[in-house]
Amino acid sequence: MPEKSIREMNDFERLQNSLSARTFHAIIIICVVLSLAAVLFGFYLYTNSVRNQYTEKAEDAAKTIAGIVDGDEVGKYVDAVTETYLGLSEDVRQKPDSDEYAKAFESIADERFYEITELLKKIADANGLSTAYIGFLDPTGKKFIIVLNSDPSGDFKGSGHAVDVDKNVLTEISKNLSVIPALISKNDNGYFSLGNAPVYDSHKNVAGYAVTGISMQTVADMSRSFLIQYVIVLAVVTILMAVLMTLHLKRKLVKPVNQIADAAQNYVKDKRAGIISTDHFSKLNIKTGDEIENLALIMADMERDISEIENNLTSVTAEKERIGTELSLATRIQADMLPNIYPAFPDRSEFDIYATMTPAKEVGGDFYDFFLVDHDTLGIVMADVSGKGVPAALFMMVSKIMIKNHGMNGISPKTVLEKVNEQICSNNREEMFITVWYGILDLATGHLRASNAGHEYPVVMQNGNKFELLKDKHGFVIGGMSGVKYREYEIDLTPGSKLFLYTDGVPEATNEKMELYGTDRMLDALNTAVNGSPYEVLNAVQNSVDSFVNGAPQFDDLTMLCLEFKGGGKKTMKEITVDASVENIEAVTDFINAELEAIDCPMKAQTQIDIAIDELFGNIAQYAYSPGKGEATVRYELEMDPRRVIITFMDKGKKYNPLEKEDPDTSLSAEEREIGGLGVFLVKKTMDDMTYEYSDGYNILKIFKNI
Amino acid sequence: MTISKELKGTELKIALEGRLDTTTAPDLESVIKDSVSGVTDLILDFEKLDYISSAGLRVLLSAQKIMNRQGSMKVVHVNETVNEVFEVTGFSDILTIE
Repeated sequence: MPEKSIREMNDFERLQNSLSARTFHAIIIICVVLSLAAVLFGFYLYTNSVRNQYTEKAEDAAKTIAGIVDGDEVGKYVDAVTETYLGLSEDVRQKPDSDEYAKAFESIADERFYEITELLKKIADANGLSTAYIGFLDPTGKKFIIVLNSDPSGDFKGSGHAVDVDKNVLTEISKNLSVIPALISKNDNGYFSLGNAPVYDSHKNVAGYAVTGISMQTVADMSRSFLIQYVIVLAVVTILMAVLMTLHLKRKLVKPVNQIADAAQNYVKDKRAGIISTDHFSKLNIKTGDEIENLALIMADMERDISEIENNLTSVTAEKERIGTELSLATRIQADMLPNIYPAFPDRSEFDIYATMTPAKEVGGDFYDFFLVDHDTLGIVMADVSGKGVPAALFMMVSKIMIKNHGMNGISPKTVLEKVNEQICSNNREEMFITVWYGILDLATGHLRASNAGHEYPVVMQNGNKFELLKDKHGFVIGGMSGVKYREYEIDLTPGSKLFLYTDGVPEATNEKMELYGTDRMLDALNTAVNGSPYEVLNAVQNSVDSFVNGAPQFDDLTMLCLEFKGGGKKTMKEITVDASVENIEAVTDFINAELEAIDCPMKAQTQIDIAIDELFGNIAQYAYSPGKGEATVRYELEMDPRRVIITFMDKGKKYNPLEKEDPDTSLSAEEREIGGLGVFLVKKTMDDMTYEYSDGYNILKIFKNI
Repeated sequence: MTISKELKGTELKIALEGRLDTTTAPDLESVIKDSVSGVTDLILDFEKLDYISSAGLRVLLSAQKIMNRQGSMKVVHVNETVNEVFEVTGFSDILTIE
């Protein structure tokens, strides 16, 4: 493996490391190794067989000679040469090439001697022998003495010539074997194949040895040329194969791989440039029918799939952005729906209120609300819609508007909840529901009337004590079931008291260990700010929740409201309950007048109030229980800052709303005038405000007079 | 409420003192009913009348209707409170107030 990455290589290095080059190298190496083995093995086989053939031939020739010559004759010449050789002086024996040496043996050669020599020569020529002679071992065993030689002028000279014979030959001959194996010998003239055979006389004694020699020079020459041709052929075949293989590889592997690589490069380049083209891979047309073609097809599929995914992604992203924008708009609209400008009532000193909502998603289902029902009554709402997100937010909007609309009519909290429940149940296919705590606070007295539709317990701090859960009686959730009745309870807040309302997002805030925040921690946090303003109280809880969850994701909306009742409205209240009869108008008027005189009410206002009592109580006395009888209650209330008298008339008679009656036409003549409705009209004209409510079977009519 | 009446020929003067309201209006109504026959000029003196409610207005309206047939009727010495009631209810257009 190359150590450099292919990206760091120059062109030459790349070429060196290319698949073609590597394949070429590999094939050459493999072929050379194979060829070398083939050459060595072939050459070995070839020379071995040739040598065997030659030694066999030499051996056969030696045996032929041994068989043809007369052993007794040979024995006679051997004896003669031996005698002569032994008779030589040591000096002459050391110089076998000297004339003196040759002359010593001349006398041995007779006619028969030459005939045998001639025979040897014929046999030698017929068998292609380079030499053929008969001789014997010198008794010392170190030299071979030539007796008869086919070519006396050759290397082995004539009779009596002693030659240093190959040691192996001497060893074989000295063993006195009947068959001596042929062998290859080397002398100054090159390699020879020597055949040997013993010559027996008539007594079966070894008279001498026939020796034949075939020159191996031609064999060596033939071997060399064989080797050269063999190597050349193999080299040519090797190179040819390497080239062919490389070309094949190039066509089947390298070229398509490069095509795919180029396509991938262009694909990326086009992508970067924003050119939309989906056929980089599909137009390649690679038809190799193997893994490469498969790779190209897969790449084409991949390109198409990526394009599809990209298209989907683009539209999905656009859609997501659109939804995101709409959601953030929705978030703002929802936030604007809730009163969120503080101080909410800068001109009111009797109370302070602060509230927050932190939705878990962009939009939430929690909400709070507060509104002045009339000058002295504050409606307070804390609610939680089931579920989260857009559906909950839509439901929240509807519920909030309904509760406020009913609440603004000044009716009792339980009635508000019942009416809202009926309205929602009449068309609630999604079976959404909502928990609501709704209360109305009399800002002058601190008197709180509240009703709870399945919402969390409110927390109240009274008389400088601690914040404590107010375990009020819960009704069923709103939207759960039609016809549900809600209970109502009342508590009196003393000046300095605080009311804390929240949704389940506060006690159910969860940290990373999946522990719940819980109401105990909430109460502890509230009590750290027991003397704080509503803003400080909410901050204390928010900080406590934040440090508890410690960055864990918020699962539920977090909504809180705190109201501090400061009092100072200094309202006085008195009431009288009498039989609803005309006779009691005076008693009621005297009761009210006593109060008005106590506050130095201007005469004119007092007169107007007296007229109003006469009109309204008179109506009750004459019509409410007619023809039966019943009681009526008249309540006197005085507000300070600004000073205002409120008189409430309550009866349990027939339900009748005098405000619904049309005003009389005051422009008609005496003959045309109807007298009905004039009284209420008069009251309307002289009082500053007038309200009617029917609650719990009571007609409740209030008149307000600023004094 | 105190009602005092003074008949001079065909002129009847009725002076009221106190409140003309739901309780007292029927009294005035019966007084007028009993005394009005033959009267051509009916004078209602409201000098000492504290106030009037719609029940009183009803009596005044019926008296006015009667007097429209047999003569005339006028209301005198109307105080501010009562006058305001007349103004608001449109009675100042119906009645003759001096």
